Amino acid sequence: MKQFTDLALDIAKGAGASFTDMRIVEERQNRVYVERRSLKLIDETESSGYGIRVLLNGAWGFASNTLLTKDEVIKTAKRAISIARASTMVPKDVPAIMAPESEYVDTQVGPCLEDPFKVSNKEKAELLLTCTDIMLNQPNIVMAIGYLQFIRMHRIIANSDGSYLDLTNYFANPHLGCYAVDGSESQDRSFQGGARQSGYEFIREIDLPGNAKKWAEEALIKCRADDTPQGTMDLVLDPMHLALTMHESVGHPTELDRILGWEANMAGRSFLKPELVGNLKYGSDIVNFTVNNNLEGGLGSWFYDDDGVKMQKFFMVENGILNSLGTTRETAPIIGWERSNGCCRSDGFNHFPINRIPNLYMEPGADDSVTPEDLIAGVDRGVYIEGMGSFSIDQMRNNFQFGGDMFWMIEGGKKTKPLKKVTYQAQTTQFWNSCDAIAGKKYWRPHGVMNCGKGEPMQVMRMTHGASHTRFRNISVGGAQI
Amino acid sequence: MRTREEIKGLLNKVIAAIPGLEAQASYSFEKTIATRLGENAITQNTGGEEERIRLVVYNGKRSGSSITNKMDDDSLGNLVRVSVQMAEESPEDPEYVELPGPQKYNEMQKAFFEDTERLTPEQIAEDVGVVVAKAKEKGFRASGLFDVDVSLNAIANTNGLFCIESSTEVNYSTTIHGPMGSGKSEMSRNSYADMDIDKLANTAVGNAEMAQNPVDIEIGDYTVIFEPAASLELLGFMVWNMDARDASEGTTVFADKVGEKMFSEKVDFVIKIDDPGLPTPIFGDAGLAVKPATWIEKGVIKRLYHDRFWAKQNGTHANPVRYPIFMNGEDNSIDDLVKKCKKGLLVKNLWYIRYVDQKELLLTGMTRDGVFLIEDGKIVGPVKNMRWNESPVVFLNNIVALTRPERVGHYAKLPGIMSEGFTFSSKSESLYSDRKCRPASAGADVAWNRIEFFDEYIRSLKEGAFL
Repeated sequence: MKQFTDLALDIAKGAGASFTDMRIVEERQNRVYVERRSLKLIDETESSGYGIRVLLNGAWGFASNTLLTKDEVIKTAKRAISIARASTMVPKDVPAIMAPESEYVDTQVGPCLEDPFKVSNKEKAELLLTCTDIMLNQPNIVMAIGYLQFIRMHRIIANSDGSYLDLTNYFANPHLGCYAVDGSESQDRSFQGGARQSGYEFIREIDLPGNAKKWAEEALIKCRADDTPQGTMDLVLDPMHLALTMHESVGHPTELDRILGWEANMAGRSFLKPELVGNLKYGSDIVNFTVNNNLEGGLGSWFYDDDGVKMQKFFMVENGILNSLGTTRETAPIIGWERSNGCCRSDGFNHFPINRIPNLYMEPGADDSVTPEDLIAGVDRGVYIEGMGSFSIDQMRNNFQFGGDMFWMIEGGKKTKPLKKVTYQAQTTQFWNSCDAIAGKKYWRPHGVMNCGKGEPMQVMRMTHGASHTRFRNISVGGAQI
Repeated sequence: MRTREEIKGLLNKVIAAIPGLEAQASYSFEKTIATRLGENAITQNTGGEEERIRLVVYNGKRSGSSITNKMDDDSLGNLVRVSVQMAEESPEDPEYVELPGPQKYNEMQKAFFEDTERLTPEQIAEDVGVVVAKAKEKGFRASGLFDVDVSLNAIANTNGLFCIESSTEVNYSTTIHGPMGSGKSEMSRNSYADMDIDKLANTAVGNAEMAQNPVDIEIGDYTVIFEPAASLELLGFMVWNMDARDASEGTTVFADKVGEKMFSEKVDFVIKIDDPGLPTPIFGDAGLAVKPATWIEKGVIKRLYHDRFWAKQNGTHANPVRYPIFMNGEDNSIDDLVKKCKKGLLVKNLWYIRYVDQKELLLTGMTRDGVFLIEDGKIVGPVKNMRWNESPVVFLNNIVALTRPERVGHYAKLPGIMSEGFTFSSKSESLYSDRKCRPASAGADVAWNRIEFFDEYIRSLKEGAFL
């Protein structure tokens, strides 16, 4: 491969590029999808291609191709240069530069104990059909869905800093869910464990068949449950639920490209500004958010980002104060930061790498002995929410409304009855400042998100969040009912 | 781009390698130029092309499928080997339906235009420059995506079906931010000759000018006038729920509703094949020919989407596509609707719509890039964004009046809609402001931030914001 990457880098250098990289991405994917008792999809995808990114006179050009020959690489590199020249027709006020970065030559392979591509498709399909059958055999279950997705991503990144990286990661993404109908009511319940950077061992670990009946029973419980209470009350949120809350209200607002206005047409901007780093009281004193792109099993643990920056660990929010932002080598210098912290990724060979949410999680509480039950015991009237459901946040990342997958009323410090159709609504910093207790690290769980959409054209990215059970005071609940 | 004959030959070669089994091979080609702008400059500029083949092999009721983006003999051989092997070992599918035979395809509106195919990054950059120049004249900042797609899709199967279709699409979208508010405009056409860059830029800049310095208003139920882009955001969600099987199982709001009146008599939803403003695809699922269809007529549900299995189970025909959406309109402009409105809100765009409850089709979302208070038939001024919780069923049932339909994107042609009793449930500080945060001591900034957000929260509670 190196002869091709050297060729592309030489051509761009000859054209006067200040930075160039070539990413060759080979991706193998296996999917199995079951609806009810029907195998709707079973497939394998092999795709490969490369993208050449050229920074010329402070403007970007990018071209991609699937044909990896000398002639095609030359053609693609020249196309990227030509596109960069077109970009200079509407130039930036300050020409783009890349923050400096070390030269790395490295080969890494991510965790995978059992190669998912060596597990038979029959076994995978039968696993899902067994699960949906268990669900459909429960009373009132009319629909069940099972899904398995496995990805092997192999990236070769060569750049004009002299880096040459050969990186392989495996991803395992399971899903199982069902719908119950009772009279005119219908509710769903699903697996909430998210995805993991792993081989097939993750699927064996989570025991989908062993949990299928419980989830089906809970879907019917939801149908027969009381509707959401309404008013201001306390919330206790489980780790799987919090993954989405922190994704939307901490992960996205701290992306520097949004803050700079580059996402304004689609994903939106952010209420944050660079000068708030070190100053903004994002959450209460016990709130700590860590970026860890070396998290074991983390979907964002890619060894190096697509800028060629080694993955890092740092506080995004420390003791409640905003401590950092997610940056790329292009965005960091714009706010006067010397180096990128490695948050630049692309979802494929044919997409331009952009500022993405890293692995971002909430630290457990300082007192390891605190349990979720302790948090509930401290609530006079509130709701305990498990898993993800409805979600929506405005384009500045302020006003949000979230639902969940399972809800329980808390009265007098105890879970008293199931609920349905619960939503809560808050503003971002108001919400995180209302956090008053976090369970210990024994209860900390990761949750891998496979479907983070951002950018134009849309790119779908992966990252892992995590948390222990957490309590929030005086949140508005039930406002979504009409 | 390969010729039609080459593609037919390629697909037939793949299918011919699977003797004695049923198979479907699909080919897709896409060439794109995507120029992205932010803060009045091109921030990202990409070009590329990719072709793919997907092969599905049926061994009785067992199936296997494989996809590749390599067209060499080795890759195609592997495609066949993997699919055949998978079809041998996979479990039988009780919902298997045999592939369709040759279809008679309708003559559709032209979707491929050479002027679009010939577009270059330089020409697109010139168009970006027009928008940026107009934004700069006002001291505003433009962001957006100027995107050109050339695509070709084909399907062949062992039952003799073959279909092929090429299309070109130009989609320019821009959001303009002023110091205290934003406006947006989008334009999608198949031929570049039909694009009006000045109109796109002037609309976006005009919307941004109108949107400056919005004020707070009380949350609650309002008469709303949705521009066509906002109509699509809301109603596009509803279309995915119009599935016959899901309705029969009772998981959607359309359960037992076929033949019933659910909406205002003003509502017709159809698939057209003869609208010159929006070409409809020639074929859909499995290569089935797309034909005119009526989903909703005078507010009555006439038909829900049937996939091939559910159609066979129920003795009816399958629906190859759900889109494009064509909704009828009335001979009004947005200005006409504003004149009809005593008190209400003009909504330009919506954002981040998700279910609150799927069975009820209760949705939540935000307004974005322009909301305006109307009083006594006139626009009074911009208001701040708000969260809404509403069902498109209620929205379509409460219609007062419609505009003439307009094309929105590549999959819808629908009107601006005036409807009563739309529920806004909370306010948002979702307004972009140019002002710098105070670079004072940490303590001062913390205090400022707390005051801003808690003040908003307390005010909202007093107004019953969350109930």
